[in-house]
Amino acid sequence: MSEQALQVQTLAEWGVNLQFVICARCDWRYLLPTDSPLPRCPHCFQTNLTVLEGGELPECRPELIVPFSAKGQVIDSALRQFAEGIPYAPHGLDDATLRARLFPVYLPMWLVDANVEAAWQAEAGFNYQVVSHQEQFEENRGGWRSREVNEGRIRWEPRIGQLRRVYQNISAPAMEEAKTLKSQLGEFDLSQPEPYQPDKIERASVRLPDRQPQDAWIEAAAAFQAIGSEEVKQACAADHLRQFRWTATFANRNWTLLLLPAYTTYYLDDDGQPQPVMIHGQTGRVTGSRRASMQRAQRSSLIILLIGLFTFLLGLILGAAAVVIPPLAPFAILGVLVGLPCCLAAFIPISLAWDFNRKQAPPN
Amino acid sequence: MMDGSFPPPGYIPVPSKVDGIKIYVPAAVSENHPEVMDFKCPKCGATTAYSVDAASVHCNHCGYDEAPQKKVLGKGAEQFEFKIETMARSQQGWGEERKEMACQRCGALVSVPPDTLSYSCPFCGSNKVLYRAPLQDVLRPRYLVPFRIDPAACQNTTQQWLGSSWMTPAELRNLARINKFTPIYIPYWTFDAQAKASWKAQVGKEVHEQYTVNGERHTRTRIVWRWESGVVEKIFDDLLVPGTVRLNLGALSKIDFYNMSELVLYEPRFLAGMQAQAYDLPLEQAWEAGRKIMRDQTRRVCLDRASSSYVRDFSMSLDFCEESWRYILVPVYTSVYNFQDKTYQIILNGQNGNIAGPRPVDWNKVWLAIAALLAPGTLLGFLGLLTLILQIGVLIGALGLFLLVIGLVISFFIFRQAQEMENV
Repeated sequence: MSEQALQVQTLAEWGVNLQFVICARCDWRYLLPTDSPLPRCPHCFQTNLTVLEGGELPECRPELIVPFSAKGQVIDSALRQFAEGIPYAPHGLDDATLRARLFPVYLPMWLVDANVEAAWQAEAGFNYQVVSHQEQFEENRGGWRSREVNEGRIRWEPRIGQLRRVYQNISAPAMEEAKTLKSQLGEFDLSQPEPYQPDKIERASVRLPDRQPQDAWIEAAAAFQAIGSEEVKQACAADHLRQFRWTATFANRNWTLLLLPAYTTYYLDDDGQPQPVMIHGQTGRVTGSRRASMQRAQRSSLIILLIGLFTFLLGLILGAAAVVIPPLAPFAILGVLVGLPCCLAAFIPISLAWDFNRKQAPPN
Repeated sequence: MMDGSFPPPGYIPVPSKVDGIKIYVPAAVSENHPEVMDFKCPKCGATTAYSVDAASVHCNHCGYDEAPQKKVLGKGAEQFEFKIETMARSQQGWGEERKEMACQRCGALVSVPPDTLSYSCPFCGSNKVLYRAPLQDVLRPRYLVPFRIDPAACQNTTQQWLGSSWMTPAELRNLARINKFTPIYIPYWTFDAQAKASWKAQVGKEVHEQYTVNGERHTRTRIVWRWESGVVEKIFDDLLVPGTVRLNLGALSKIDFYNMSELVLYEPRFLAGMQAQAYDLPLEQAWEAGRKIMRDQTRRVCLDRASSSYVRDFSMSLDFCEESWRYILVPVYTSVYNFQDKTYQIILNGQNGNIAGPRPVDWNKVWLAIAALLAPGTLLGFLGLLTLILQIGVLIGALGLFLLVIGLVISFFIFRQAQEMENV
């Protein structure tokens, strides 16, 4: 999309029958195939979705897509690992349920093309070696022994120059939470993207950008500078480059989208609210909130407490009866001895669940 | 840099490995010395030469003076690392065309100005020399210590020095025929390094013990050994190692104390009319010699750190870091003097006037002095023997022995000094 001639995008340009949907709760905007029933929002998993008119579609056009490449067993294993070890896990927080609720979603990233003209300056570093010596003296071994060692050093030299290059597909974040997602899911391998084909998104939803190109330009400019710096290093045949600065002008800027693969799934917490879980579409790395169910823990505690109280009371009653019928005395003692620890043990489920939840890092 | 014309002045383009990227680097400061620098007076056309007295290139004919660009760098003069390629590569030669002359008699290589018609070898005084092609592996000198001592002052200094010792013949000062002093720049390497050493040794402490044998109490001294270790850091700054082996290194070592704060940037004018010698001891060998001095000094420091002078099983490991070097020229005057048909070479520090070289020794004086030193002890010894019957002989004999020992020690040092004076 040229900034000089902004075009109103239409859903038809995506090449597949899509509907433009917005989640009233989390404000995620995304595209869904029209023939698929409206599912839950792939971000917050609420069901209050609204279909918008195509004319309100943000200006964006897909160019490249990174395909899903995480194998099923990798995802299964990652989900299993995510779900296990949670005491009193909420209903649905198990690998089978999470797997059943998996929903593919493409996350957007801006791709910028530009003709760059710049004047630059930097310090180019060249590796070289110097000869140094280590000496060893041993009185009992005939005096000095010398060893020559080579040490690597860097020679820094000033360089200035001009750059006139066309750069394509420089990436910049298209979502406000891109940085958070990157820290949670990890990097995407962008080395082998494929050209966008409509059939690739037929069964998935596509998250739409909530950052405009002008907002993403800061990161894009930094990415241009980084690639410019790397090319200047190559041009100088240098081993290192530092203090790279440039004054650049960017012409013919063209913004398109790169779609990154991810899965989302969810489980319901104690309040029946969906808790989202996201999975990296290439590595299978899982991120989401792992919480123990306090309700289940409280229920377990209550049962144990009731059993304990009942046994304790029974013991007391038998103790009273043992005054009249002495053979009941051992049962009375047993009842008290069993009932009392049971009452104390009733706190264990609650404290386990509480402690687990306390130790979980708060979601970013 | 980003404003105005591009590239800024003083930058030149260099090849780029990437299309669309132009690269400029600061142009190297060219030293623009002509291949042959003719020291000719711009006023009268006569040949000029550097005058120590005037501290400029001087024309003896019309008095014209042209001071060299004296950029005093001192200890701030650039130092160079021991790069692998530096150690291996051949360096540029002299900044002005000079002739390398090899002396037939002593083999010394001396670089002399091309306009020199008569040449006297400064090392042996021989006048017969042959032309030989200059060596290729010659580093270009970048700094030098200029002459400060006037050649006229050398004559007086030498005469004073010749008469300064009672061991030399009395007539030496007046009869010695001192040849002309030849100012010559000789090559030196200076080395800087930081030595980090860790040492370990068994250090002995004296313990006095008392014991009894057959009821008698005795005292004996025993040494108790225990391990000690330590770490030493020593910084070496401008350690000087001669870059030549042609000169009398013994004499050179007595005068090679130069004030490095007077180090100036190399300028051919300083060499006008003088001689200069390129190094014949390569950097690697000189650095080996320098390291040997450094490690021995560091070892002494380590030994000093031991808590006692009894040390055994000493071992140390030494790491050199921040090593650097300079190739400099230092000023000396060389000359020879004849005395009783023998030729003696002398060398004089051109910066501070220190002088060294062999001097003839009047051995009659030396033996007479030794005899005089030994006589009292010997005579008293004899007297002691003669008076042994009178019971005071033991005392006299002991005194004689004492004086004899003292006389022997002093005689030994006098003998050594005389030998050294003759053979330095």
